[in-house]
Amino acid sequence: MDLSALSEAVIQGNIEKAKELTQQAVDAGEDPQILLDQGLIMAMDTVGENFAKGLLFVPQMLRSAKTMQECLAILQPHFQAGSVTSKGKIVLGTVKGDLHDIGKNLVAMMLEGAGFTVVDLGVDVAPEAFVKAVSEEHPNIVGMSALLSTTMPSMADTVRALSEAGLREAVQIMIGGAPVTAQYAEEIGADRYAPDAGSAVIKAKKLVASA
Amino acid sequence: MQRLPIPTFQPRLKVLGREQALAIHTAALEILEKTGVKMEHAEAREMLVDAGARPFGDDWIRIPAWLAEEALATAPRQIALYDQNGNKTMPLVDDRFYYGTGSDTTFTLDLESGERRPCVLNDTGRFARLVDALENLSFVMSMSNPRDVAKIEFIYVYAFAEMLRNTGKPVVFIADRLEDMTVIHELAAMVAGGEEPLRRRPFLLNYSEAISPLRFPAQVVDKLMFCAKKEIPICLPSGSNAGGGAPVTLAGALAMGIAENLVGLIVHQLTQRGAPFLFGPNVSVLDMKSSVVSYGCPEWSLTQAALADMRDEIYGLPIWAFAGASDAKTVDAQAGAEAMFSIVTAMLARCNLIHDVGYLEYGSTSSLEMVAIADELIAMARHFTRGIPVNEETLALDALERVKNAGPKGIFLTDDHTFHHFETALFLPQLMDRSRYDAWAAEGARDLYRRSNNRVRDILASHRQTQPKDAALLESIEQRLAEL
Repeated sequence: MDLSALSEAVIQGNIEKAKELTQQAVDAGEDPQILLDQGLIMAMDTVGENFAKGLLFVPQMLRSAKTMQECLAILQPHFQAGSVTSKGKIVLGTVKGDLHDIGKNLVAMMLEGAGFTVVDLGVDVAPEAFVKAVSEEHPNIVGMSALLSTTMPSMADTVRALSEAGLREAVQIMIGGAPVTAQYAEEIGADRYAPDAGSAVIKAKKLVASA
Repeated sequence: MQRLPIPTFQPRLKVLGREQALAIHTAALEILEKTGVKMEHAEAREMLVDAGARPFGDDWIRIPAWLAEEALATAPRQIALYDQNGNKTMPLVDDRFYYGTGSDTTFTLDLESGERRPCVLNDTGRFARLVDALENLSFVMSMSNPRDVAKIEFIYVYAFAEMLRNTGKPVVFIADRLEDMTVIHELAAMVAGGEEPLRRRPFLLNYSEAISPLRFPAQVVDKLMFCAKKEIPICLPSGSNAGGGAPVTLAGALAMGIAENLVGLIVHQLTQRGAPFLFGPNVSVLDMKSSVVSYGCPEWSLTQAALADMRDEIYGLPIWAFAGASDAKTVDAQAGAEAMFSIVTAMLARCNLIHDVGYLEYGSTSSLEMVAIADELIAMARHFTRGIPVNEETLALDALERVKNAGPKGIFLTDDHTFHHFETALFLPQLMDRSRYDAWAAEGARDLYRRSNNRVRDILASHRQTQPKDAALLESIEQRLAEL
């Protein structure tokens, strides 16, 4: 089946059109995994590339991600339980003491749009909560965000808590937020620093591929 | 009878009509009454409910408009800020404007190498010393997020003490929570000679932030109520940036930011009527490509000019503003253009307390050179804003007559009138280069960044505070830090 019309609708962020095409394909008995991989995720890869090149603005990219999510909701009931493949799983949160969530939410939406499964722990997330989520969710990546310099040490505490729980080797750790630097990531033993949401997606893809 | 002096018109920028101002104000009140805010501070919530607000859901509260109007009526129209020696240097009121630096940058451009590197405590000191010497900057902020402090949880205390060591000008400070704010208040009281003198002649103002949209975390409100009780002037903007924390359209972002500010003001005035509150949200934009909050965009200049209009039309309270900042990564043409744009419009709009001078990289990097350049840009804007005094002396018909009568040798440059007036009539640049090409080339063909670098080095090497703090005071500050 030619999925170019569906891809184009996702790229354009045309929610109605994309849903309609997805429904038609499902009704025609198309394999939902192929629709997901070759229709939706490939479209989002193009969107991600165009965004990285500066050809798209954030609201356009998020509109495509939303379109993709709505199509995915149509596909969901047609997957065998547990058979849907995701690019990887990420546990995400703003660290303890910090209540800012706009940047973290943006990262979550972009990761979901790129085909990742995101477990968003919210804001003011204690190291123990990260540890609990990692032991329960078995993610590929833990993502931490901080806007305040005074809460950055919570990132180091979380890395330490994961080590103490014997979970450090099981995950890749990525950090970001206004006062965070690549040097700081290195100092606290995180694997990656992502300066913005777009690069968080690119780095997450690489981390999962290299794991 | 002599004619009365002709008043000098001083150029003034207006960006809102009265109907626009009223409509934004009404929308802000509607947000309080209908949408409500999330007040996570139990005591403040109770206080608001006792005063007539209605709680709903999980910490949410709806606030009647009259509480806002009442708080606007009890907050003082003037906030007089003093220097650290008790002189009233910054009466924040009506059309008075004052510029100063910003807080919390992660990086700074190294004065020696020009490299962007993480900030250290010494940078806070250097920025404070530079501002102490610069004529057009009236107050300091930390300008850095120093990484080399002994205890990171007291980072703002160390930064505050470093500013005390290096300047006598007013200090706008950040605190993380009640605990460090209490220590900062203690240090300030030491400088002022006690809590009561500090109350009467405050040399400090706190900057705290609610979280847009509509969220008031407990530890932020803790600071707000502490400042009200101690009468430490405070402002409480939120990140109501268009497209980020707030609606993408500027009217909606302003209405929401103002609503959030009014909530802060209400809690503040309920805590202590008449305590000084500097009004104003930060309404910049979230960049739609990089998702940074822009410091060089025209929109922020526009929204703060709008707020100045709303001050004049409705609020009557002095306002918080920004200028002299840029999204550029280096001190380049973009940095100069963006800095000048906000400096001149903030002045023409008569914003009151104008911070962030010297920011690069959307507030992530600071630059001493940029601060020195901005000092001169402010001077240029000031010269423009002074307007054109018109009187017999400045019309100078006598001088013209003399030059005419002097025949072929007559030039204005030799006339007394020029000698007596040129220093006030003209703007005499220090950093802006007007030298002839050959002279400029012979001096090493230095661009503005290089010239500013030299100026900063000279100042830091030679500047001495006019009234330095005595050794005993500095020693007691050190002792207090050692107890942290």
